[in-house]
Order: sequence, then structure tokens, then C-alpha cells
Amino acid sequence: MHPNLSFEQAPPISVPYRFFLTAPWFGIAAGLLLLVQGEVLLASRWAPGTLAMVHLFVAGFMLQAMCGALLQFIPVAAGGNIWRPRWLAAIVHPLLIVAAGLLVAAFLAQRPGFFMAAGHTFAVGLGFFIVVLGLAVWRTPAQGATIVALRIALAALLVTLITGVTLATGLAKGLLLPLPPLADVHAAWGLGGWALILLAGVSYFVVPMFQLTPAYPDWFSRGMPWALLAVVGIWSALFPDFPEPLRSIVLLSGVAVAASYGAVTLHLHARRRRKVSDTSFLFFRLAMLSLLLLLLSALMPLFGDDERITVWLGVLALFGVFFSVINGMLYKIMPFINWLQLQRHYGMQALPPTMNQMLAESQMRAQFRVHLVTLTVLLSAVWLPVLARPGGLLLMLDCGWLALNLLRIVGAYRRFKARVA
Amino acid sequence: MPDGLDKPADLVVDGRDMQPPEPLEKTLAALDVLPRGGELLLLIYCHPVPLLNILRKNGFVWTESMREDGTHEIRIRHA
Repeated sequence: MHPNLSFEQAPPISVPYRFFLTAPWFGIAAGLLLLVQGEVLLASRWAPGTLAMVHLFVAGFMLQAMCGALLQFIPVAAGGNIWRPRWLAAIVHPLLIVAAGLLVAAFLAQRPGFFMAAGHTFAVGLGFFIVVLGLAVWRTPAQGATIVALRIALAALLVTLITGVTLATGLAKGLLLPLPPLADVHAAWGLGGWALILLAGVSYFVVPMFQLTPAYPDWFSRGMPWALLAVVGIWSALFPDFPEPLRSIVLLSGVAVAASYGAVTLHLHARRRRKVSDTSFLFFRLAMLSLLLLLLSALMPLFGDDERITVWLGVLALFGVFFSVINGMLYKIMPFINWLQLQRHYGMQALPPTMNQMLAESQMRAQFRVHLVTLTVLLSAVWLPVLARPGGLLLMLDCGWLALNLLRIVGAYRRFKARVA
Repeated sequence: MPDGLDKPADLVVDGRDMQPPEPLEKTLAALDVLPRGGELLLLIYCHPVPLLNILRKNGFVWTESMREDGTHEIRIRHA
């Protein structure tokens, strides 16, 4: 059964769209960086250029898309009342762009002042966002696994922010902090706590609704976020020494919980009531398969300590899992928001174009094919450095095509309004 | 005809296996051709708030009931 939605609570269309339309440009920038700097970015996770590229992804692409999605999702699906969403977006959106830009510049130029500025800008912009959305999800009368997941995810984002600002301050002031272990804690809260728990919580809602599957089992939807939070908590408790074999056991446990979400989702896909395999679904399925591959790959460190294994895991997690699923959701959510906004505005006076008319399936499918090739080349480039620069070029093409397709969806909205007005 | 109907409707939209907003799209298209005195039956797995707002604003009346499997039956007529 589908949950009920409160469309009357939906924010103005510009609120989520300004974030969605910005996200792919960070991906294009990441591709450009890889094209310019080449294989050095895939040799170690600690190279300055690698850290810059990673943060273009996580603090740029992913953060923009996820913040935009939450601003739409919390009022409509979680019944949360967000304080002045238009103002909030107008303040937070530019701050997050500037903060991510400063952080990337700081890694590339190794300028202490940039690290401080990035830390402060993130603290203000993201801190404000977390407080306002936190109040909305804690005060909502709605209940259920999605609400719990949203609360945990926002709390994890706060820990990610605090550890990130600490790292930036440490780098800026040359403090004697154990930076690599602290970075491991920061990454665990950011990817495992914030991003994956948010993804799971939203999936409990959108997978049954848009992909026509049965609901996630209750024991899973309630237990998975807490299990992941527990693993991230234990991981943090190992700081700063991370003794073996505890480190490997906890890491594998976290990836196993993440993969269980992929396995359950694929199981639900197999039981769909109607077998519609549109491009959005294919992106989602690719992300879930990447999660399973991530579990297999996480076993690799048991057979050696090649630094490239960590890079492989990073490419798979960031580009295979998160980029794919966000890309797929954008292709479903934006036409849906378009349709709802137009329908609310014009009622039966003029029926808006159907979802499929907002953006041609062929355009989405073509970009999906490019995405598949890009993922394959980027993963191969970890072991075949000669493929790094072509991978960068493909990443630019992939994200550029996504940006273009999102603009086409906005174009469909504007054309209809212009025609009816 | 979908199972479990109390009485036959003139038009039926079974939105249970459709992706949103397809049930709403098809219902609005069906309402365009619904004759005066006719009835449109919508079957769906949620309480379709956006549709009900549209019906209210455009001179339709409806009754709603729910089956044991969670299917909402919305029977719509011209006011």
C-alpha cells in the first residue's frame, strides 16, 4: 500500500530545483579535475587532488541533491513543517556552493585560509539547514521507519559537519590532530550515517510507490538504520588507533548492513506488481547491485593492503551507489514535481503533459548508457591508470548530459506555463 | 471488471498498479468524458488527496470506501 502524501505542504518549485540543477555541475567539475590531473587522483585516497575530487562529489553533487530532496520530501512525505523554505533555500544553497568551492580550492592550493573559510561557511550554511530541518522532523506528528531514518540521518549529518570542521581547522592551523583516523570517522558518519540512512529512509517510501513493489519488511526498515548507526558508533569508538582485526570486522559489518539494504531492495524488485523497467528503475537497480559488489570488494583487503583497494571501494560507493541512485531519483522526482505543481495550479482547466512527456525516455536511457560506460572505465582506471583521463572526460559527459536533461525537465514546465498563460 | 465491486460503474480506473501520477492522469482524462448521471470508479492504494481537491473545485461528488486489502474505492459523479 502507498503512504499518503501532503501535496498542499509542498514548497515552491524553485526550492528543491535550485539544488537539483546545481548538483551535476559539481560532477562536471570532478570530471574536469580528473581529466587535468589524471592517474594521480586514483593512486591514493590521500592525494590533495583526490580529496578535492571526492569532496566535489560528496559536498557538492550529493549534498546539493540530498538537501534539495529533503526540502521537498519532509513536508510532503513526512508531514514536517519547514520554517520559511524559500528563505532557507535562498540562504543555504549559495552558502553550500561557496563552502564546497572553498574546500576544493583549499585541497588543491593547500591554503590554510581556504580551509578555515570553508569550515566556517559549512558551519553556518549546513548548521542552519540541520537546525531548521531537524526541528521539522522532530516536531512532525507523523511516525514510522522513514521518520526515524530521517532523524538519524540528520543527526549523522551534524556529526559529519562537526568532524569536518574540526579537520578543516586542524589543516588550517596545523594542529596536532590524528588527521587520517579522524578522516575515517568523518567519512563513516558522512557516507554510512548520513547518506546511506537517508537513502534507505527515502527508499522505504519511494520504492513501493514508484517501482510498484511490496513494502520493505517492517523488521528491516526499522532495524537497518539503527544497525548502521551502531556500526558507525563502534567504528568511532575505535578512534584513534583502529586496531586490527577489529577495524576490518567493523568495516565489513558496516558494508554488510549496507549490502543488506541492496539485497532487500533487489528482492522487492523481483516481486514488483508491474514490471516497468524505466531508466529511473535501471539507475536504482545499478546502485543496489553496486552495493552488493561493494560487499564482495570489502573482502579484498583481507588478501592484501594495496592502497588502490580503498580507491576502488570509494569509486564504487560514490559513483556506483550514490551517484546512480540520485541520478535515477532525479529522473522520477523532477517530472513528478513538475506535474503536481502544474496540476495544482491549473486544475482541470488544462491538463499538464504526462510524466513521460516531461523528458523523453530515450534521453534518459542514452545518459544511462554513458553512465554505465563511465562507471566501468572509472573502476578499471583504478588498476589501469591510462584510463584515468578518459574516465574524467566521460564523467564530464555523463554529468553534462544529466544537467542537460534536468534543464529539459524545467523547460517542459516553463513551456506549459507559457502556453496556458 | 475488477473483483469485489458492489455495482458496475460506467468507467473504471484501476490505479493500483500504476506509477504516480498515472492514476490521477487517467482519472482526470476519464472525468472529461464521464456522462451526466454516470459514475467513475477509481481503485487505488492511497487516499488520493490531490484528486479530491480537484473534484471539490470542479463540481464532482464522491464516496469512498476501503477494502480489506487496503484498496480505496472512490466512486465519482457530477454534482
